[in-house]
Amino acid sequence: MTGRARARSRGRARGQDTAAPGAVSFTSFSKYTLHCCLLLASRPSLISTGFQQVKLGERGGRRRDFHDTGVYTRQAMEHVKESKTGTTGATIKLTANYFRILSRPQWILYQYHVDFKPAMESRRLRSALLFQHSEVLGTARNFDGALLFLPHRLHSKETVLYSETRNKEKVLITVTLTNELPPTSPVCIQFYNLIFRRILRVLNMQQIGRNYYNPNEPHEIRQHKLTIWPGYSTTILNYESSIMMCTDVSHKVLRSETVLDLMINLRQQCGRERYTDICAKELIGQIVLTKYNNKTYRVDDIAWDHTPNNTFTRGDTEISFKNYYKNQYGLDIHDVNQVLLVSHVKKMGPAGAPPPGPAMLVPELCYLTGLTDKMRNDFTIMKELSTHTRLNPDQRERQLNRFITSIHKNADAQSEMSKWGLSFDEKLLNLTGRVLGGERIFQGPRSYDYNPQSADWSREMRGIPVISAPPLDNWLLFHSRRNSNEAQSLLQTLHKVSGPIGIRMQRPIIIEFEDNQLSLLKALQHNVGQQTQMVVVVLPNSNKDKYDSIKKYLCLDCPTPSQCVVARTLSRPQALMTVATKIALQMACKMGGELWSVEIPLKQLMIVGIDCYHDTSAGKRSIGALVASLNPTMSRWYSKCVLQHKGQEIMDGLKMALTGALKDYLKFNNCLPSRIIVYRDGVGDGQLQSVVNYEVAQMMDSIKSLGEDYEPKLSVVVVKKRISSRFFTMIGDKFTNPPPGTVIDTEVTRPEWYDFYIVSQSVRSGSVSPTHYNVVYDTSGLKPDHMQRLTYKLCHMYYNWQGIIRVPAPCQYGHKLAFLVGQSIHKQPNVKLDDYLFYL
Amino acid sequence: MNPIFTPSLHSQRHQFVVDFVRKNKPNKVADLGCGECRLLKRLKFQRNIELLVGLDIDGAKVKKNMQGLAPLSTDYLQPTYDQLHIDLYQGSVTQRDARLRGFDLVTNIELIEHLTLPDLELFSSVVFGYMRPASVIVSTPNSEFNKLLPGLTGFRHSDHKFEWNRSEFRSWAFKVCLDYGYEAEFTGVGEATQEQQESVGFCSQIGVFQRLNVLPNRDEEEVFSYTLVYSVNYPTLRDNNTLLRVLVSEVLYWAEQMKNRWMEETTGGTNGVLPHSQTEQQEQSACTERLDCPGEGEESTESLWTKDLEESGTLSRFVVVPLAALWSFCPKISELSGNLSNLRRLLMDQPQVKLSQDGSALLLRCEEQEPEQTDGDEEEDEEDASAIQCSHQTEPEEDWEANI
Repeated sequence: MTGRARARSRGRARGQDTAAPGAVSFTSFSKYTLHCCLLLASRPSLISTGFQQVKLGERGGRRRDFHDTGVYTRQAMEHVKESKTGTTGATIKLTANYFRILSRPQWILYQYHVDFKPAMESRRLRSALLFQHSEVLGTARNFDGALLFLPHRLHSKETVLYSETRNKEKVLITVTLTNELPPTSPVCIQFYNLIFRRILRVLNMQQIGRNYYNPNEPHEIRQHKLTIWPGYSTTILNYESSIMMCTDVSHKVLRSETVLDLMINLRQQCGRERYTDICAKELIGQIVLTKYNNKTYRVDDIAWDHTPNNTFTRGDTEISFKNYYKNQYGLDIHDVNQVLLVSHVKKMGPAGAPPPGPAMLVPELCYLTGLTDKMRNDFTIMKELSTHTRLNPDQRERQLNRFITSIHKNADAQSEMSKWGLSFDEKLLNLTGRVLGGERIFQGPRSYDYNPQSADWSREMRGIPVISAPPLDNWLLFHSRRNSNEAQSLLQTLHKVSGPIGIRMQRPIIIEFEDNQLSLLKALQHNVGQQTQMVVVVLPNSNKDKYDSIKKYLCLDCPTPSQCVVARTLSRPQALMTVATKIALQMACKMGGELWSVEIPLKQLMIVGIDCYHDTSAGKRSIGALVASLNPTMSRWYSKCVLQHKGQEIMDGLKMALTGALKDYLKFNNCLPSRIIVYRDGVGDGQLQSVVNYEVAQMMDSIKSLGEDYEPKLSVVVVKKRISSRFFTMIGDKFTNPPPGTVIDTEVTRPEWYDFYIVSQSVRSGSVSPTHYNVVYDTSGLKPDHMQRLTYKLCHMYYNWQGIIRVPAPCQYGHKLAFLVGQSIHKQPNVKLDDYLFYL
Repeated sequence: MNPIFTPSLHSQRHQFVVDFVRKNKPNKVADLGCGECRLLKRLKFQRNIELLVGLDIDGAKVKKNMQGLAPLSTDYLQPTYDQLHIDLYQGSVTQRDARLRGFDLVTNIELIEHLTLPDLELFSSVVFGYMRPASVIVSTPNSEFNKLLPGLTGFRHSDHKFEWNRSEFRSWAFKVCLDYGYEAEFTGVGEATQEQQESVGFCSQIGVFQRLNVLPNRDEEEVFSYTLVYSVNYPTLRDNNTLLRVLVSEVLYWAEQMKNRWMEETTGGTNGVLPHSQTEQQEQSACTERLDCPGEGEESTESLWTKDLEESGTLSRFVVVPLAALWSFCPKISELSGNLSNLRRLLMDQPQVKLSQDGSALLLRCEEQEPEQTDGDEEEDEEDASAIQCSHQTEPEEDWEANI
């Protein structure tokens, strides 16, 4: 979350309302609901603005809005007000991981304001006083200190109650009805989520982060001390036509070693000298669980000068960490020399009080959760993990049904629900989607279709020349001494495969280097010159330092496209043809070659893709990448990357990049695009508002900078890959993944948005995850059908994969660029490379 | 409520119990009138307690708070030898239940003043006469202190049936001691100022009762009048399944570590392929030397070797990790298994662990790293698949532009 968005959500936190129960926040809310009712009457599909005014939470909890409720973008787009659904494609019956929430007809939640005279400080006391009147209020009630919610109406609009404190103080309580909330009102939705969380706790699930997990059925990967807990993510929201719960199977990876174990291990492995660096790199950004509570903390820093013997102030006494944990939790700290971890707790302190300082954590009492980058790159770990976590559609469907059955069978859960007059549907949601037809792939004068099931044309494109590829006359091949065999066989195979696919290749200059980072760099400096078109390096292993130094030198100091190959990939003779073909294609597009295209029936169009990479280690710096199309076939791209400074929005930098892209487009086409479609990827949960409010305006500014009278049509589409929606289709008696090209634009979409889902890729195992597209701004007037199809077409255009991918190609290009810069280069690449896909 | 005390009075009472527990180390502890389970939540961190029981008349209140007594997520990750079982009951302290007999400590924090005097009689007979724990802690308001509480008239709580001064509490306590064979000591928490302490005493007065003699268990009918509302077992290494699970995890983890380290040393690279001839040689010498004398008295060697075994028709390469090396390499494994032969015995029936024929060493499959791209089936056929080619087809072209 960016600083700005964070500040905004913090500003809205509910805590402030509860701290001062009374007029200010309250009146603003009532005003809003009035507004809401009016709107409801005239246009039922639109629920009004001002969603976040009142926030319900667990006692004292302050929640962020992760679901981007309250962002109303559809109403501003005239052409989708009536309908946002497409028309093309064959219909397909689908099942989605959604359950309907059923309530009594005319179900209403009654909201009361509760006033105490004399005023009572403590919320706990206020609750106790109010709940002395169970006979009036009933057992189903929710009170946060100021607002009371009941599923039924009290006799009169104003109820006066008398209570008595322990000190025999008489208290006058006035309960005033302020609102009647329909089931779709935002407060009710928050309310359902609250009740559902209670139910999950009744089912003995452990909350970690936002999801709930079952610790009693762990899977273990013992070689790596990983424990996986199966669990569920659940969200209840007001979807297109009803309130539903979206629930997906989720897995939590925990590590059965403490942070201290890991630190000792690291110290042994890397020695004193590099220890602090490596330790910080490994730990900062990790989420830890503690031995004494169920909270998760993010490690933000390491306090190298603190040990458990340091003290902190508790109440008005100083106590050491060691003694505190001993006294409070009976936990002995054995290693008193360990340094402490620092976590900046985002939560605010009690209202009025200064925010609490950072939490200091003792490594010995903390366990790590999740995977490190190192583990993510470990093929064996990931393979092992996937056997536990990757569920095919059939298994997934069964597990979801088991979950809902367990809720239906649990008496406590049922009574909690029925108390409020609610229940869940027993079956997953059935709906209809459409399958878009396959695209025809064009390569110069020739074209072909691909198998729509596999969504891949690596076979079909064999032997067909690519659209264009610059002839490779002056290039270098580096290899270490022990890899000369691999280098030779690569070279031979490259020559064999390049001809038929239309890439002309001369013999390269072959250079042997000593296998160490420094001599490799020297060899590069010595040999790579102005004329060099391409550098290929055969690396003896996947050592990141070596790779980084090559990329740094060739992207910054001496801008030249480069291709690294790990020798091992070349060691299997039977795979060599395939590998060499891929390398040849990759080399071609890094130099500006064009491989294939699909038909795009829009003129003077520029497609822009934006993605970010968040570098958790190096000071949390984010990197934004913008990639924009330069020609009508979407085969040439302008790429720019910006490094975000502290407290700065990604878009501030990308504004310049967009201007640069437009100027480059002008150079390529002698005109500016009349239509710009931006696909914005990398938007986190809860950040939508800032994209809508801030980024769109920035983009328009940037466009304006090219001339006051330049007014292209602009569409901004927010692309989301990490979503919990899943779709299945029945083949025979088994659930399978829907075919590539499946579009879903009803039922599970949101009424306040112009959004749709596309399943574009095909997966070989597990369940396919759809991509969610949310058009937040659109002056193009493009029909929803065309917007969907254009988006799908763009998923065909990623040159590093001969098939359909999950997101429009420029997003994936942007991701690749941001990743390379964030992982290896850490600086803006040389401008000479802007027109090339050098980062593939 | 009473901001005049820091820490607050109720946490001082709880701290008193916690201190008592830490000093006397009872194994079985029951809290009567546990209410919101706040004392239990603190007591569950006291490692010496193995059975923790809460009882309250208000079952709904207990149900609302019981989730806080569940094991923490991390309790599952590295179980220890400590064991803990928690039971919560709904029921009345005036009724007997055999499940609460034989405890080391029973606490009654601010409980008795909520009972009518006849009920208090029953309470005494149930707690001191029937449950007969070794120690009992009873806390109750000291009415002499009330004059120091600002704005207080009458009792401290509307549900209080009585509030005693110090001598009233003592005379009740002495009678209980006499009737049931206990001895009592008196103290309290919530101090007044120095000069007033003497005259008013503590805000909460506390009696600590110790049982004098163990009576032979009279053959009484087993009564079960309480309703069990919550019951949970904490993971512990004393549970054989848990122990095995943890042991196997440790063994596999450390064996993998040793294998990786050894492979790095032998090949000099992280992802290198094992030089075949070299390992073959080593196998010869190592096998004969070490396989037959695992452990006992011998300096454990950290050296491993490889071995090729036929497995369902295909020859696979394994790295051999002697259990003796593992046992001395990782203190946690030696601690969990006790001795080497026990380790072997425990690992014998574990399907995840592959042992050598004689059970003296662990066999770890030596995986050739697979290439990143898993390119399915297309490796073999090298001839170009003839793509279906045709000229640009002329579909009735749609006009996307004109849709505004």
